[in-house]
Amino acid sequence: MKALLQFFASLRLTVVLLALSMVLIFFGTLAQVETGIWKTQKDYFESVLAIWAYPEAWIAYDQLYWLRIPMPGGYLLGGMLLINLLAAHITRFKFSAKKAGIFLIHIGLILLLISELLTDLLSEESQMSVDEGASSHYSQEYRDNELVLIDRMHADFDTVHSIPIALLKPGKTVAVPESPLTIRTVSYYPNAQIGRSQEGAAPVESPANQGVAVKMNVVVTPTAVTYAENQINTATAYVEVLSPEGSLGIWLVSNVIDDRFPPQMVTLGEQSWEIVLRLKRHYYPFAVELVDFSHEKYPGTEIPFNYSSEVMVRHSDTTKNQKALIYMNHPLRYEGLTFYQASFANDDRTSIFQVVRNPGWILPYVSVLLMGVGMLVQFGMHFFKFLKKRATA
Amino acid sequence: MKKFAFTLILIIAALIVASGFKPATNTSDFDVASFSELPVQVGGRIKPLDSVARNTLLVLAARQKVVTPEGVTLSPIEWFMDLTMRPEVADTYRVFKIEFPDDLGIAGLAQKGQRHYAFNDLLPHFDEILRLYKEINPEPKKRSPYEQQIADLNDGLTLYHRVMHSLHPVGTPERLDRLVDEYQSYISSIAPGLVALRQQQAGEDYDAELLSRFIQFGDDYLKLSKTAYLRVVPPIAPVDPLDDWKNIGLELLDVMRGDDLSPYVTSYASLTMAYRLDQADMFNKTVEELRQRFIGEFPNDIDRVHFERVFNQAQPFYLSMQLYLLIFLTVCISWLRWSAPLAKAAFWVLLLAFTVHTLGLVARMYIQERYGVFVTNLYSSAVFVGWGAVLLGVILEKFYKNGVGAAMASLVGFCTLIIAHHLSMSGDTLEMMRAVLDSNFWLATHVTVITFGYSAMFFAGALALIFTVLGLFSKHFSKESAKSIVSMVYGITCFATLFSLVGTILGGIWADQSWGRFWGWDPKENGALMIVIMGAIVLHARWGGIVKERGLMALAICGSIVTVWSWFGTNLLGVGLHAYGFTSSGFWWTIGFAASQIFFICLLYLPWRYWRSAFGKDKNRREC
Repeated sequence: MKALLQFFASLRLTVVLLALSMVLIFFGTLAQVETGIWKTQKDYFESVLAIWAYPEAWIAYDQLYWLRIPMPGGYLLGGMLLINLLAAHITRFKFSAKKAGIFLIHIGLILLLISELLTDLLSEESQMSVDEGASSHYSQEYRDNELVLIDRMHADFDTVHSIPIALLKPGKTVAVPESPLTIRTVSYYPNAQIGRSQEGAAPVESPANQGVAVKMNVVVTPTAVTYAENQINTATAYVEVLSPEGSLGIWLVSNVIDDRFPPQMVTLGEQSWEIVLRLKRHYYPFAVELVDFSHEKYPGTEIPFNYSSEVMVRHSDTTKNQKALIYMNHPLRYEGLTFYQASFANDDRTSIFQVVRNPGWILPYVSVLLMGVGMLVQFGMHFFKFLKKRATA
Repeated sequence: MKKFAFTLILIIAALIVASGFKPATNTSDFDVASFSELPVQVGGRIKPLDSVARNTLLVLAARQKVVTPEGVTLSPIEWFMDLTMRPEVADTYRVFKIEFPDDLGIAGLAQKGQRHYAFNDLLPHFDEILRLYKEINPEPKKRSPYEQQIADLNDGLTLYHRVMHSLHPVGTPERLDRLVDEYQSYISSIAPGLVALRQQQAGEDYDAELLSRFIQFGDDYLKLSKTAYLRVVPPIAPVDPLDDWKNIGLELLDVMRGDDLSPYVTSYASLTMAYRLDQADMFNKTVEELRQRFIGEFPNDIDRVHFERVFNQAQPFYLSMQLYLLIFLTVCISWLRWSAPLAKAAFWVLLLAFTVHTLGLVARMYIQERYGVFVTNLYSSAVFVGWGAVLLGVILEKFYKNGVGAAMASLVGFCTLIIAHHLSMSGDTLEMMRAVLDSNFWLATHVTVITFGYSAMFFAGALALIFTVLGLFSKHFSKESAKSIVSMVYGITCFATLFSLVGTILGGIWADQSWGRFWGWDPKENGALMIVIMGAIVLHARWGGIVKERGLMALAICGSIVTVWSWFGTNLLGVGLHAYGFTSSGFWWTIGFAASQIFFICLLYLPWRYWRSAFGKDKNRREC
């Protein structure tokens, strides 16, 4: 037991783990060229084991295509470093004023590792796009989708029944909450091309017998999932809607079949629902109104100088109404969310905000403060000792 | 003799510095200096024509001078004057640099041993160049070196053509000799021309000859407005600093709308005519008029524009580069002879070089109006890395006084300034910052601190190199010398780790402020983190007694490799938010640097019996 503890507490292990971290980060950087930041992050840093494959674009790929380098992933290394650090503090370190700096650095480090884990697990990112003069009360994710049935019976509000995309497994059924309906997934494609059927070219036999697929003769060509930045996967599915009396039909749904198409309606007796597969939405109890968006450039150039959005946030609780100017390096923090100026569209008339919910956002600040102070104390002491030694020498 | 050596080094240093401040030799009667300070709006800021001339020439010819066929050496601004005002002469100057003319695949162009070509040399091959250009990969990042060379040549020709048209329309020499008349007859043709146009459209009788002349002017100036490179015509005072200036073509076109022709346009026309007729008095008078008008309308900018011209001419970084070379040589000689006086001289010159280098950095801050911001692009990061290393070198030299700090600081300073020089070939080094990066606070803190971290890592790596070389080859290298370098490397690595960590953290905070995440695993962020981890490895390995002298040195050299990866390597990947571009030749330099460092690590691990220093022999004895 003691030997084990000593192994976990050893500085040798620290050095090995740090070296492995460097290797991981290096390959996790290289891999981004092929798979983009998001996927690489999942594969390398939010994993236990990562495997680097020789990239196709490199020279001599034909000879080296088999080359794979396995390495411990971020969770494994992070966890091991944490254990290493804790074990070291249990066995070796005795707190003293001399070691205060080291202690602070290590506590900061522990906090940083934890905060990264929390961010991975808890943070949510989505985008909100608002036209000038209009307002929006929801934001959309750009990787996750949802299947929704919208009941538009009420004059004042719509009722939205949402089913997470992860539940759409071919052959499985899901009951739509608070409705008599059940959804059976016929097939699901994480990315696909949607188009008019060409003579003799129907890549996937269409099982649909209702909606756009039939009326407009739309067919599906499944394609590989993309992880490139700024590219959205066209999630697509054939779903059968079941009522207690039996099947109501099979519809083609996809996140590109949006309001440019006629609504696809599911009708059962008196009731009807619009069925839509769309990028997952987050609804808020407030609306963000875009008063003005401006996009300035340096004189005589196309180099952007500043983007800014003047917004008015109207909450259902009017005491929380707020006016704000969102611009570069100056986000709006509101109700646990942060709104950043991310992009713009539509000839400078639409502003796009990144909406981030990260409950642990304050942790890195605390952690880095501790580490910074710790380093200053530690190296400051070293430095003054060195000066003193020089002076007496 | 000793005293003489000391004095000699200082005199050489003083001569180098003085060379930067000697007034330009101008043999003609033309007031070239005043002309070079005329303002122009390029890349979002107002700068002197001198800067335009230098940057254009650097992009085209990769140097800051032109030699005419008669063997006369011209300064960039003199070349610019010929290019814009006597294009028929400038077309014979060899200003297009083609690195490998034989490989272009253009028959009859390459001349043996010649890497610079004149516009007139290229003229017969235009069709061929255009054909080749259309065949190459349209995606700049995916071009081969050959394709890049074609693209550079084509872009160079376009730039040359556009700069030539900056001050007035270009045509036959006769046209240039009559510019003022041309503008006069254009202005007087506008009113009747518009009438004729209306008559034609209404199907009435009209003066066909007048109309065609008027339309000819319009077509011509429309073309000019698209070609002319420089915005030399300021808006009418009072001027908002964010207002666009106009180029000559646009200003001429706008006269049709009823605007008065800006006096800047006519002044440039008179300048050209005077220059062509060799009338220095007339030329100088017009330049003075232009200058006075600018001073009147832009009282806040005149000093900065003047200063930028002086800065361009003094070339402080070029001066420091020469001084660093001098220091390095002096220290090397000092290890062989006259060690005390030469080491002292080296220290003084190091201080001088550091001062000049600092002045250069401060001058850039003043020109950009960003105080405290040292680094705004890759070029300035190179300049700053050298500066940081020299600062650390000065401090070390103050404590150890053995020349090691001075030698290695000057080596890092020299190399990084060479890198900066090559990076400056791509255009203006004082460019504007894109919106998201445009935050003086974060530029001054995060970027400065992290780049200083690079300096310290490189400096530690360089100290490890000298340890290797002296340990292997110098008989004088004793146990004490080794110990002092070990403690230097350790101390500098502490600094490097501190700065890299603080810089990375500040970067995280900036990222949280602008993109909503503290950490995004972006290549540049990863690179910075790798430096921090490298520093942590060095320190933990030393505290744990895992490495001795050699191991520490090897790790410090690894630190240089990691730093180069973070600094340049990550930019080569072309992904992420920090990817501000770099040419592919950078790839081979990065690989080459890493290989050279690995070579030194191999040298370090040669068995002790091959070490010729006292330190190495002692180690060998203990092992036996």
